[in-house]
Amino acid sequence: MDFGLKDKVAIVTGAGSQIGFGKAIALTLAKEGCDIVAADKDLEGAEKTAAEVKASGRKAIAVKVDIRNSDEVNEMVSTTLEEFGKIDILVNNAGTPGMVPPTSEEAWDINVNVNFKGTWYVTNAVIPHMRERKSGKIVNFSSGVARSGMGGLYAAAKEAVIGLTKAWSRELGPSGINVNAIAPGMGDTGFQVIVRATPEQKENFKKSVPMRRLTTPRDIANTVAFLVSDVSSDITGQTIQVDGGDFMV
Amino acid sequence: MDFGLKDKVALVTGAGSPIGFGRATVLTLAKEGCDIIANDINGEEAEQAAAEVRALGRRAIAVKADVTKSAEVNDMVKKGLAEFGKIDILVNNAGHAFGHGPFAEQDEDDWDKDINLNLKAAMLCSKAVLPNMLERNWGKIINISSGAAKRGGPFVEAYGAAKSGVGGFTKSLAISVAAQGINVNCIAPAIAVTNFIGGKMTPGVERMIEEIPQKRATVPQDVANMVAFLASDVSSHVVGQMYSVDGGSTVTS
Repeated sequence: MDFGLKDKVAIVTGAGSQIGFGKAIALTLAKEGCDIVAADKDLEGAEKTAAEVKASGRKAIAVKVDIRNSDEVNEMVSTTLEEFGKIDILVNNAGTPGMVPPTSEEAWDINVNVNFKGTWYVTNAVIPHMRERKSGKIVNFSSGVARSGMGGLYAAAKEAVIGLTKAWSRELGPSGINVNAIAPGMGDTGFQVIVRATPEQKENFKKSVPMRRLTTPRDIANTVAFLVSDVSSDITGQTIQVDGGDFMV
Repeated sequence: MDFGLKDKVALVTGAGSPIGFGRATVLTLAKEGCDIIANDINGEEAEQAAAEVRALGRRAIAVKADVTKSAEVNDMVKKGLAEFGKIDILVNNAGHAFGHGPFAEQDEDDWDKDINLNLKAAMLCSKAVLPNMLERNWGKIINISSGAAKRGGPFVEAYGAAKSGVGGFTKSLAISVAAQGINVNCIAPAIAVTNFIGGKMTPGVERMIEEIPQKRATVPQDVANMVAFLASDVSSHVVGQMYSVDGGSTVTS
C-alpha cells in the first residue's frame, strides 16, 4: 500500500541508538520516501543513523539535542526548518526508564523530564508550524508499563504521555493534525530493564506474552509508518499497543 | 510499504453494500493482491462486489449467506476452501443495529437479532475458518466493533453490548491462538454514512460529527486501510487490540 510519504520531512528523537526503535523508525520512514532529522543526545549515534538514511537515498541531518532543554529543542526545530523548509512528521521516540534509585530527585529528573516534559517541549516547538500548514502527524511514545503500572515513575510519565496525546488530538484535530501514541511491549533494545535481565528472566517474560516474543524495532517502525501516513488519517488520540498481546486495553 | 498480501485469500462478511465498509475492504485487499470471498445476505450485491474485485485482476467468488446461521456459515467456508484451498484472512464485518426507540419498548427479538448478527456471527465465522488457519500456523481475524462499545449511545443497548462483546471475544481468542501464528484484533469505527444510518446524512449525524475532534465522519476507506494493515505481517506483533478509527471521537473512553 502506498503510504504517500514521499518527500515528507520527519523528526525522529532518540534516533541515535543503533539497536533502538528510533533508528528503525528513521530507516523505515526513509524507505517510504521521507527525509529525516535524526535527533539524539548522542551526536555520534545520530550521525551514524543519518549516514544510513543517506545511503538509502534520502536526505538526512543529525542533530544533537537534550530534549529536557527547551533552547536545544527550539534550536533543533529551527535547524530542521532551515535545512528542509518544513516539518511534516514528529516522532517523539526518545525516552528512558532511568535506572537510578526510584525515590531520588535524579529519578524524577530523568523519568519525568525526558519521557514527559521532553515530549511536551518538542511537540510545542513544532505545533505552530504544523498549525500554520494545517497538516501534521505526531507520534508519541507511551509504554506497556503505563497500562500495568509496573515501573514506578517511568510508568507514571508514560501514562502522562497518553493524557497529552488525548489532549493534543482534541486541540489539533480541527487543524488537520493527527496525534497518536504507541505503547510498545518489552523490546530487545538498549532499554536497561531488558539489558539487565538474566536469560531466564527474558525467557519467562516471553512466555508470559501471548505471541511468545519480544517487541522488535521493526514492529514499532511499521506502526509508526502507518500512523504518520494519510492512510490512517481517521485515527487520532489513540494509544496503540504493539506488544504481542501483553496488554489488551 | 509492501504489506506482503499477494495471493492471500480473504473472506469478508457483509461485503455487499456498495457504500459499506465491507465493499471498500474487499477492494483494498484485492489491490494489495488478495483473492476474495465476498459474503453478504444480499446475494446480488455480493456478486457485484466479487465482479469489482475481478475487474481489479484478482480472483473472487460471491457467497450469499446469513452469517447468524451456523449451517450457512459452514457451507460458505466450504465453498471458499473448495475454490481457493485456504482462507488466510477473515474480516467479520457484517453488522447492523436493529433495536430502535426507548429500551423499555424494544422487543426481545430486537435484542436477539443484534446479538446474533454483531456478536454470534463473528464467533461462527471464526470457528469455521480457524481449523484451516491452525493447520498452516498463519491467519488474521479482524472483527469490526464500534465506538458504541467504548462510549455507548442512546437506543443501541443491544448493539453496544454486542460490540463490547466483540472486544472481549477478540481478546480471549487472540490469547488462545497467538502462539500459533494467528492474530486477532478488532476495529472500532465512528459514525459513517453507510446503510447503518440509511445511507444519508441527517441533522442528528451532523451533530455527532461536530463533536468529533477531526470534524468528519469515518469513511469506508479509513476502515479498509486499517484492515489491510492488520491483515498484513507488517503488524504481526499487534494482538488482541481494539483500534479506534474514529477521528478521535472516543479519546475520552
